[in-house]
Amino acid sequence: MVLLFIVATLLPPPRDTQEITWLNDLYHSPLFYVLSALFSLNLIICSLNRLPAAIRQFNAPCFPPPPGIFENPETTHFILKEKGMTAGEAIIEKYASVQFSSLKKTKWEKGFLFCRERGKFSLFGVYIVHLSVLIIFAGALIGSVFGLEGSMNLREGETSSLIRLDKGRGVHQLPFSVRCDNFLVEFYDTGAPKTYRSDLSFFKNGALMQTAALLVNHPFTFEGVRFYQSSYGAADETKAVIAYTGAGKESGEITVNIGDTFALPARKAKATVLRVEENIMQLGPAVKLDIEAGKKNIQFWVFQNIEEINHANPGLFAEVPLFNPGLFSPLVFSLKRLESHYFTGLRVVRDPGVPFVLSGGILILAGLIIIFFTAHERIWLRLEKQPEGIKISVAGRASRNQAVMQRRLERLCQNLSKGLAT
Amino acid sequence: MTHTLILSYVTFIYFISFVFYLFKMILQKDIWGRLASFAAWLGFLAHTLAFILRWKASHDMGLGHAPLTNLYESLIFFAWSIAFLYLAVEWRIKNKSLGVFVVPVAFLLMAYASIAPGMNTRIEPLIPALQSNWLTTHVLTCFMGYAAFTVAFGCALLYLWKDKTQSKTAPAKSAFSQKLPALTMLDALIYQSAALGFVFLAIGIITGSVWAHYAWGSYWSWDPKETWSLITWLVYAILLHARYVRGWRGKRLAVLAIIGFACVLFTYLGVNFLPSLHSYI
Ligand code: HEM
Repeated sequence: MVLLFIVATLLPPPRDTQEITWLNDLYHSPLFYVLSALFSLNLIICSLNRLPAAIRQFNAPCFPPPPGIFENPETTHFILKEKGMTAGEAIIEKYASVQFSSLKKTKWEKGFLFCRERGKFSLFGVYIVHLSVLIIFAGALIGSVFGLEGSMNLREGETSSLIRLDKGRGVHQLPFSVRCDNFLVEFYDTGAPKTYRSDLSFFKNGALMQTAALLVNHPFTFEGVRFYQSSYGAADETKAVIAYTGAGKESGEITVNIGDTFALPARKAKATVLRVEENIMQLGPAVKLDIEAGKKNIQFWVFQNIEEINHANPGLFAEVPLFNPGLFSPLVFSLKRLESHYFTGLRVVRDPGVPFVLSGGILILAGLIIIFFTAHERIWLRLEKQPEGIKISVAGRASRNQAVMQRRLERLCQNLSKGLAT
Repeated sequence: MTHTLILSYVTFIYFISFVFYLFKMILQKDIWGRLASFAAWLGFLAHTLAFILRWKASHDMGLGHAPLTNLYESLIFFAWSIAFLYLAVEWRIKNKSLGVFVVPVAFLLMAYASIAPGMNTRIEPLIPALQSNWLTTHVLTCFMGYAAFTVAFGCALLYLWKDKTQSKTAPAKSAFSQKLPALTMLDALIYQSAALGFVFLAIGIITGSVWAHYAWGSYWSWDPKETWSLITWLVYAILLHARYVRGWRGKRLAVLAIIGFACVLFTYLGVNFLPSLHSYI
């Protein structure tokens, strides 16, 4: 019966996951839940089936020792002639409790029996592992039933409390709202992104509750809902901040978009922004203006780094009037900076199953370490009176790695004979 | 780029070591075995040095991340873990015949790292999602696990081979078979390395989930690499159960270890041909 269960359960786990690899969303399909449930049920039944035996083993008294253990060839005997019983007892108590702390002792028809035991708990490692598998399953189930997964895009300055749920499941309203105060992206020289960061403020009933800086790999939790920095994008066209000087006077900063037109104080002219470029001809940011004065139109570029460009190419304006920001005299234009506005892409997740899965994960590790790196070990010593003197017999059992136990027994015997010799 | 140069020597040394192990197997002279071990140790030490140099180079470039962030670096580390575990096992069992099966795996990985087309060997800055200590731990433990499975695989091959030659030449002693570790020892080694790998892979999967939790907002997303690492893990769970519960020994266990290793390879390399979050490794 138990065997049948085991055979049955050894097969399904790899198969169900494997098949479903190809059919993507089946991980949330009823079939998957049913298989998982069957698997868990099996695990529970098998573990319960075996548990009583493990408990019996756990509670098994040290005495009497398993029958025949001292007749087993694995047992190491040795005899010593001239010592008396009390000396034997003293030596055993001295050496046998070195590696194992508690030494139990009992009387026996021909002398004394001693027993040392450790690693009893190792018997339950297997159950800890199986239990944690169940806990992880439970956590995953809780997460998929009560959890929430979605995303939200916020422009800089925008406030929202709506998230778009994954897989087109609609929109969800959070009981609070989030504002993106600022978004920042930095790049490496190679052009790959280095960091991106959103500064968020959380509001409840109109009151500011908390602010936080959100970075990739550093999520932030507000009222049980975790926010992740997941993506970003340009929210709208890049703005240019320009200024001009005329007759020694500088205008204020003017912020413009492509297509904007503004009036100029000379010759009743109007300027129109034709292009805004972040990096044109490897010369950095620039805008192209069209100036209409009377019937005439003049077009030219205004570079942000005009001084360096001019410095590197003396006589440039004479050769390429198109690059001269003072082409429309008497005004000289300058580009102060470009301003781009981003939106930040946030992942929004609430998963009440996480603590379960996490504790399951920790438990499984603890269980595995208990299983593989500890063992239930018992050592028995028998002291008996013989015509020649005393005889000490040593035997041991380990739930795993009997070879290590054997080595330990040998070492113990050496110590005992050394002790008896002195 | 000293480390790249050293690594190409290391590849060569592993190959030499493999050839010596082969000579040892065929010619039965201890001297070849000693040379082979010497070469393996030399390769391993140089390999370690190169790993450290590469790390240092990344620091000097102001990036300072462990060299575990792309396919090239992971292949190098995989080979390193195999060499490390193999030498540990060789030292423990005092028998050199396993090398013929394990060292060439390290060599092949190194060779693949250096000749595969389109392999990016540069040290590159990390994109934000990869800037995480969990990730380093994750890669480290996964590859220690894979290396342990590789040793189990080597033992399994040796087991099957010895089993075959032994039954063929039955009582007459085949000289080489005599020198091989006892079948029971190999069987125990398969089990122990599989168990070790199982624990490491468990840690690897868990740390990977923690990382995914922080980086992607979901501890498990059923991407092919995750799924396959889970399958691999379950195959080894089956191996452990088969031995512990059903008492499978020897041949059947060896076959399971080989199946498990095939899963490891698929998880590691095959999955790269499917779309995945793990595309950078
Ligand atoms: C339904 C499925 C499963 C069944 C029926 C099952 C059953 C068993 C049984 C009967 C034992 C032996 C316990 C003993 O005799 O004391 C065992 C051991 C063990 N189980 Fe499971 N198990 C299942 C799933 C799993 C899973 C999913 C894992 C973890 C990944 C796992 C990990 C272990 C480990 C590590 C051992 C100890 C093996 C050893 O000592 O070599 N089991 N299992």
